[in-house]
Order: sequence, then structure tokens, then C-alpha cells
Amino acid sequence: MSDGQRSPTSDGQIVVSGLTKQYRNVRAVNNLSFTIEPGRVTGFLGPNGAGKTTTLRMLLNLVTPTSGTATISGHRYADLTEPLRHVGAVLEASSAHKGRTGINHLRVICAAAGLPKRRADEALALVGLTPAAKRKFKGYSLGMKQRLGIAAAMLGDPRVLILDEPANGLDPEGIRWMRGFLKGLAHEGRTVLVSSHLLSEMQLLADDVVIIAAGQLVRQGPVEQVIGSMTHGGARVRVRTPHAEALVTALKAQNATVDADGQGALIVTGVDAPTVGRAALGAGVELHELTTERPDLEGVFLELTAGKAGIR
Amino acid sequence: MNLVRAELLKIRTTSTWWWLAVGAFVSIALAFAFNAWMASTVLGGDAETLGVSGEQATPAAQAANIYTSGQYLGLMFVMLIGILMVTNEFFHQTATTTFLATPRRTSVILGKLAAASLLGFLFWLATTVIDLVAGATFLSLNDHGTQLGEWPVQRALLFNLLAYAIWTILGVGIGTLITNQLGAVITAAVLYLVGTQVVGLLFLLLSNLLDSQAVLKWQVIWPAVASQVMISEGQSEFVPAWWVGALVLVGYAIVSGVAGVLITRRRDIA
Repeated sequence: MSDGQRSPTSDGQIVVSGLTKQYRNVRAVNNLSFTIEPGRVTGFLGPNGAGKTTTLRMLLNLVTPTSGTATISGHRYADLTEPLRHVGAVLEASSAHKGRTGINHLRVICAAAGLPKRRADEALALVGLTPAAKRKFKGYSLGMKQRLGIAAAMLGDPRVLILDEPANGLDPEGIRWMRGFLKGLAHEGRTVLVSSHLLSEMQLLADDVVIIAAGQLVRQGPVEQVIGSMTHGGARVRVRTPHAEALVTALKAQNATVDADGQGALIVTGVDAPTVGRAALGAGVELHELTTERPDLEGVFLELTAGKAGIR
Repeated sequence: MNLVRAELLKIRTTSTWWWLAVGAFVSIALAFAFNAWMASTVLGGDAETLGVSGEQATPAAQAANIYTSGQYLGLMFVMLIGILMVTNEFFHQTATTTFLATPRRTSVILGKLAAASLLGFLFWLATTVIDLVAGATFLSLNDHGTQLGEWPVQRALLFNLLAYAIWTILGVGIGTLITNQLGAVITAAVLYLVGTQVVGLLFLLLSNLLDSQAVLKWQVIWPAVASQVMISEGQSEFVPAWWVGALVLVGYAIVSGVAGVLITRRRDIA
């Protein structure tokens, strides 16, 4: 193991730099650059066909880039001495032989990676699959297959975790389990990179996001910052009152913009909720609802990727 | 070494090898019965009726035949194991997992080649032990002795070992060239079973066309023919010496092994 792999500055950091993949007719990934920090969950977002999976596969040496580099802790995946002890990956297509049992699937990986056999049992227990250890893979539900994939990724107790659409096929209980599990791993200081297009889930899970579309970077940063960058002039306030006219007059005096939402409520922009409340109190207007509406990740994502999605 | 262990574990933890072993055993039983009947007819003085003569009619040649019973189909079964070792990775989408555990793809293929030859050896060992016990018993009971001291017999046994190892390696090579499991299995089986006859016919036509019987010798470039040439006794106008067959087979093994490594190194795993 080289010194660079343990150096404090790059340990656990994922750096993608000028990464490009040209297929015969399509430039799947186009000069993509971003950095993923350890100790945080990073959501890797993009519409279908944006190049998420291709990017992750280039990061893991499964697909050869046309140009550019992707490194983990300063090394290309192929140059890591014991890759599974450093990086664990769950890819969408990762699968097992249908006729092999879950535990044997993990034991094969342990044998290939030179990990002790007991790690297979430990990883299976970690994801709660021990009761199904001796069942064949073809008898697994989609959720169990995802858990087995995570168990495989955890065999080497890796510093970095990369997951492609891990929530696919999980039931609500499974999704909540996954959220807690990944947040826990990030809390331990590991790097967690999760691709997904379940944006409401990402808002609950991710600390940072990297948004790509049509193979190019659209936005990168902490979730709050990315959302904030798209909310021109701050949040919106929703008000419900039986005396709309009086309130509108009072709010216009505060330089607020007021629109009707068509469902009996007023949408106020330009001022915050306390200002609206104070104005109502001053005008002697009764309020039935006063809510601050933050734009969510979904709204921001759709705005950022508008026109870049779809089939290329 | 880890990789060879992992490959053997992959085979042990599925039922495929078991079915192929059953197939190999059945073909031994059938072939042994046929070869035993043939030996007793030929050595009993009826060689002419079966069209067997010369070197082929000696007790040693017949014993070699008996001691290698079932190896014609056995070779195909080990080739299928080699093919499945590679194509299973794509059919069951485990190639991703395999190459994540070992990004050095050359090592993965070398591990498969080593595990494949080891399996070929085990199949040969099991087949040969069965043939030796049954064959020695049969020959002794018919007053021909075991014939195990005869060089043609020993040579047939040893070269079958080489054939088993090479055909498993060829299977791995074919698997890397044709990753579609069904496609690879059917292509290989057709090339092995039907191919020999077709090649024989083509060369017969060619020799008539060129008015030259020497052309027939060139059938040996076909792997299944080379395999037969390698283990059979004697040479003639039509059949080249055994070592030509051996060289051709080793050549195929090297070419398919190298091609397998080179192709796998470049391939994008999607």
C-alpha cells in the first residue's frame, strides 16, 4: 500500500476531472469534473440517460474513459492495492448467479479479494439477511437483492461507498433502513456517493448534490446552497384569510408581491412570514394559515435540467 | 492463487458441474460398453467384419481404446465447463462484481484458465480411474492381460490428460469470444460434434478436386480432428503423426487464451 492512499488530504476523496466517454454515436459523458468529500452523503442526480451510470462505471474501471481521469483517494481504481478494502460499490446491474446462495455469493467475493470467510457472515448480518443466507439468489425479492448488493459492498469495510440507484425496489421500511444506514456510514467519516432520481428521498438523505444532465455538470454543492441559489429573492409565504383585500393592501405597503393561488390562498413573495404576520396584526386581519414554502430539491432539479433531459 | 480458489468456489457452489459430471459418466458407461464389445470382436478374430486391421487390431491398440472410453464426449463436457466459467459472468451479470474485486483483468482470466485446466485434470482423473478399473478387469477376464505396460496404452492415457486440459482452456477462450451463453454453447458443441464430419467431407471433396490424397492430412488443423490424431496410434498417408495433432491443439489453446486476455482487458462492462 502506497503512502498516497493513506494521506490525510486525499483519503476518501473522489475526484473526477475532465471525464469524457464517447460511444459510437453518443457522447455519454462530456468533460465532467467534480469532487466528492468524505464524511458526507453526496447525491449524484440527473435525468435518465444523463450519464450517471457511465460515470460511476468509469470511476470503478469497468468502462474505459475516452479522456479525463477519475480517482479515489488519489488513485485510479485499477491501481488500488486491495480495492474492496478501500471502495465498496453497489451497481444497478450487480447481480449474482441465480442458482447460488446469498452466503456463497459473498464467499466467492471474499475468496477473490483475499478477505477472510467470516466477513461474508458479518456483512450478511449487517444488512439483516442472515435468515436468508442459504436461500438461492433466484428466490430473493428485489429488496433482498439490494441488501445482498450492499452486503457485498461492505465485505472489505471500505472507506468509500458508491451506490447506483440503491433505493430501487425497496419498500418504505427498506428505504428508511437504507437512509439510516448510509447516514450512519457518512457519520463515521466515510465517503458515500449515491446516484438516484428519487429526489424527495435525496432531500432527506444527501448533504451535498452533484447534478448532471446530458453528460455535463449542471450544479454542485451542499443541498441547501443549491436550493437557495435557485430561490430568487427568498422563500414564498402562503396566507389564508377571510379578509383578503385588507391584507393585500397592508402587504403592498410593505413592498410585497401578492398573487392568488387559485385555491383561496394568497402567495406572498418579497417579505418573510413574520413580516406578513405583523402586517396582518396591524391591519386587524384574521389569519387561518401562514406557511413559509421553501422550493424543494425536485423543483430546483427540474428547473436546472429543463430541456436537457430525455433521449439523446 | 486467490483467484483460482474463487473460480473453483464459483463452480462448486452451483449445480452445473454436477450435471456435466453425470453427462460425462453416462458417456463413459456407453462408450465403455461399445469399446469392450469391439475389442472382444476384434481380438476374437472378427477384425475384418468391423473393418479394423493392422496396428489398430493389436491388443494394445484395443486396450488404449478401452482405457480412454467416454473421452470423446468427456472433452466436450470440459469444454462446456470452460465456456460456462466465462459466459455465466455475463449471463448472470456477475462480471461487474468479479472485476470490482479484481480490477486486474488479466489475472481474472489467468485464474479462470488455471481453474479450468485443474478441472479438466480432475475430470480426466475420474474418467481414467473408472476406465482403468473397468478396463483392466475386462481385459484380464478375457485373457489379454491389463496391457498397461504397453507404450501405446500409456501414451493414449497421458495425451488424453493433455487433451482435457487444452479443451477446457479452449472453452474459456470461446467464452470470451462469444459472451452470449447459448450462442457459445451451441457454436462449440456444433464445432466439436458436427464439425468433424463436415470438415472430413470438405477435405474429401478438396482432395478429389486437387487430385491429391495428401490434402487429407490437413484436416488436422481442425481442433477436434487434431485431438483425435493426437491420441490415435500410427500414421499413414491420410493421418499425420500424433505430435502434429498435439502441436495444433497447444497452438489453439495459446491463441484462444491470449485472445481471451486481450479482449477482456479492453471490454467495457456495462
